[in-house]
Amino acid sequence: MSTPARRRLMRDFKKLQEDPPAGVSGAPTEDNILIWNAVIFGPHDTPFEDGTFKLTIRFTEDYPNKPPAVRFVSKMFHPNVYADGGICLDILQNRWSPTYDVSAILTSIQSLLDEPNPNSPANSLAAQLYQQNKREYEKKVSAIVEESWMNE
Amino acid sequence: MEKSSTSKSSKPAPKEESLFTIKKWNAVALWSWDVTCDTCAICKLLLVDACMKCQNEIKTEDCVVVWGECNHSFHRCCIASWLNKSNRCPLCQREWIVQRIGR
Ligand SMILES: [Zn+2]
Ligand SMILES: [Zn+2]
Ligand SMILES: [Zn+2]
Repeated sequence: MSTPARRRLMRDFKKLQEDPPAGVSGAPTEDNILIWNAVIFGPHDTPFEDGTFKLTIRFTEDYPNKPPAVRFVSKMFHPNVYADGGICLDILQNRWSPTYDVSAILTSIQSLLDEPNPNSPANSLAAQLYQQNKREYEKKVSAIVEESWMNE
Repeated sequence: MEKSSTSKSSKPAPKEESLFTIKKWNAVALWSWDVTCDTCAICKLLLVDACMKCQNEIKTEDCVVVWGECNHSFHRCCIASWLNKSNRCPLCQREWIVQRIGR
């Protein structure tokens, strides 16, 4: 059955394939177009460089009027990522716009990696280290970067 | 080089200035469609066509375009279902006030 949300997602997927943004990729799961798997590569010149972080994106039939639920499957250490992988990002909550597509969502999360918002901490240790002890922060981040290669 | 200190704009010296002659001039102009005007930013389909919902339900005749006071335009169906959640224009976040409805 092809609903508006599903057709919009087909378009998002087509756009992602034809015009792939650097450092992110994503595709719907085989049996359900409302559930996607995605990968964000850690941006260069950041502590996240070389990491391959997996995420799941769950859409509803309300898409694009409601944002999808996005979470990291790979372990993450970031001021705005909860222990369960949930992401605290304004455009995925109160600043969502129905003009966003999967490619915009993934690139926003990618830029969040190096530009955390310490005002809405989801991981208080990460937020504290980010502000007060960069060296320890980067050490913790490189540990999860290494971990991201392992669970293939 | 030596003329830079002496020559003034009040005394044009055309012969001296023709160090270079233009033999060929290829004017290059870039243009593109203003995508936001042509495509509904919500369903990503062309505004001249019906929105996704109406194409699905095969009632394409009823699907009209609506312009806000910010000059952004969407299918009426697409902006209507968004306005249930928020009264802001999805593109510029300004309050959505209908300017006109048409095709
Ligand atoms: Zn539309
Ligand atoms: Zn319509
Ligand atoms: Zn607008």
